[in-house]
Amino acid sequence: MTRLALRNLFQSRARLAISVGGVALALMLILALDAIVGWIEKRVTAYIDASGADIWVSQEGVRNMHMASSSFSASLATGVARVEGVDSVTPIHYLTNVVEAGEERTIAYVIGLPDQARAGLPWIVQSGRANPGRGGAVIDQGIAEAAGIGLGDPVEILGEEFEVVGLSGGTASLTNSIAFISSRDFARLLASPRMASFLLVQLKPGAAAQEVASRIEANVRGVTAQTREEFAGQERKVVRDMSTDLMAIMNLVGFLIGLAVMSLTVYTATLGRRAEYGVLKALGARNRDLYLTVGVQALVSVALGLAVGLIFTLALAELLPRFSSNLGLQIRLQALGKAGAASLLFAGAAALLPIRQIRGLDPAVVFRRR
Amino acid sequence: MGSSALQVVDVTKRFGSGATEVTAVRGVSLTIDPGEVVLIMGPSGSGKTTLLMMLGALLMPTEGTIRLNGQVISDLDESQLPEVRLRQFGFVFQDFNLLSALTALENVALVASLAGRKNGEARQRAEAELTRLGLGERLGFLPEELSGGEKQRVAIARALVNDPAILFADEPTANLDSKIGHEIMRLLRAIAEEQGRSVVIVSHDQRIKDIADRVLWLEDGEFKEMTTMVTDPVCGMSLEKEKAAASLEWEGEEYFFCSRGCRAEFQEEQVG
Repeated sequence: MTRLALRNLFQSRARLAISVGGVALALMLILALDAIVGWIEKRVTAYIDASGADIWVSQEGVRNMHMASSSFSASLATGVARVEGVDSVTPIHYLTNVVEAGEERTIAYVIGLPDQARAGLPWIVQSGRANPGRGGAVIDQGIAEAAGIGLGDPVEILGEEFEVVGLSGGTASLTNSIAFISSRDFARLLASPRMASFLLVQLKPGAAAQEVASRIEANVRGVTAQTREEFAGQERKVVRDMSTDLMAIMNLVGFLIGLAVMSLTVYTATLGRRAEYGVLKALGARNRDLYLTVGVQALVSVALGLAVGLIFTLALAELLPRFSSNLGLQIRLQALGKAGAASLLFAGAAALLPIRQIRGLDPAVVFRRR
Repeated sequence: MGSSALQVVDVTKRFGSGATEVTAVRGVSLTIDPGEVVLIMGPSGSGKTTLLMMLGALLMPTEGTIRLNGQVISDLDESQLPEVRLRQFGFVFQDFNLLSALTALENVALVASLAGRKNGEARQRAEAELTRLGLGERLGFLPEELSGGEKQRVAIARALVNDPAILFADEPTANLDSKIGHEIMRLLRAIAEEQGRSVVIVSHDQRIKDIADRVLWLEDGEFKEMTTMVTDPVCGMSLEKEKAAASLEWEGEEYFFCSRGCRAEFQEEQVG
């Protein structure tokens, strides 16, 4: 019966193409959406991951950057620097604002860096310098290209014009980018010269980040200290929480598309061979033999759909960054598992209706003249 | 193959109920012996196909009993019927009803494998059956690549592959030209004679009378006339026993002739 199922499936190539294409499209939607969120999650923590800081110190109770505000006296840096195991402390300013470059307006994490920053600098510098210094700004190269500007050109940040002195890489995502200015400019513009947003702590060799973070919280009042991994984890969680509903809706849409296409194609395929199933019943095939045929057809269609969907998604992940530096796909193993599970559900659900149809099929149908 | 016979006792089939009730077959009784070829004829809508479906366990009678090898099959549960259809009956259809996606060999092997035979054995049996029916060179052909006669022979091979006791044929020559129709008729006759299987044929084709042992005329769901076919031992002509021009009893057997001339010739040659 497996042979019959496969032959039936591959005999109607147009139907197979529609079925596989539909499933591939639906699974690609599920996979690509997850991959986009995966990529955003990766990008959103890119600055944290590449900051060079072992510990992030923030205002007490603040555990991430995105959609959060952290502010405390810059003098706390002295107290943190005295904690055992701390090698250096870099105070940075941070605010979400708009960067205007030419005609382009993009939302950006604006980072204020001290002149002697040992951490928190742009980690990929495509051209120019990493530390902006007074009056200078380092912006993402992709943003600069989109705006048609380069080194030496003006850019407006926090309502003031800066000169582009450096172009960074890997600092833009679908929704925003990171722009770097000097701490002094930042403090002046916000009229808060003695404040800092975060302290980026580097450790002495051999010091354990978790232990030092605990010591910082114990010795310095009014701060929260987290290891880089913890801080990045919290950041990812915020993005994930924000995208959960969207993901759920889009996954549902993808699932429903896949289910509808699969159900329709398996149903019409069964309907088209109704007479043949009747013949098989008349010849002595049991219902379970026929269910197997439908099941194999659904399963093979879905497996092919999954493979094609995965190939398309991988191709998209490869091609997308070539067209836009602000968008990429990060395919995650758990998404593959989810797509696989969705595929099995497609196959099972798509086979249900035809199985019902077969169960009720009268073998005497073979005697009705066509 | 066993020495099965089908016994049909007072079988009735009604469809619908109340004002819309239709009786397709009423009170039909019939016994089919091993190796016998029975032809059921009758006008359209007379209940031939309904009767054939009941004989083949594809349709349950409303009343009456159908026995196969003494076992009542008309009372069997739907889940038990596939086994009977698979191992005891073979079906040949007017439209051949071959599976279009499978080759001739696969069409036959599939039915063998449904009966529990392993893939290799099923294919061997299918190949042997098809070769025996002269299709050894067409094993790998799809139905669309075969002629009408070849398709019907594949269908017959498929019907025979599980060694059934009874072969049911529904208008087996209707979609074939005269020459091929004759071939198929001779094949069905040979299956009955050489393999001892019963063959029940439903047809409008008068030519099939030539190969039938018995012809039953069904009208309004009832047998109106039962005809036994005999062969004139002199000229070989097939004729209805009741309408024979002459008969003769010799050495305990009764012989029937199409004309007095044939009887005279028989008497002269055999009796002396």
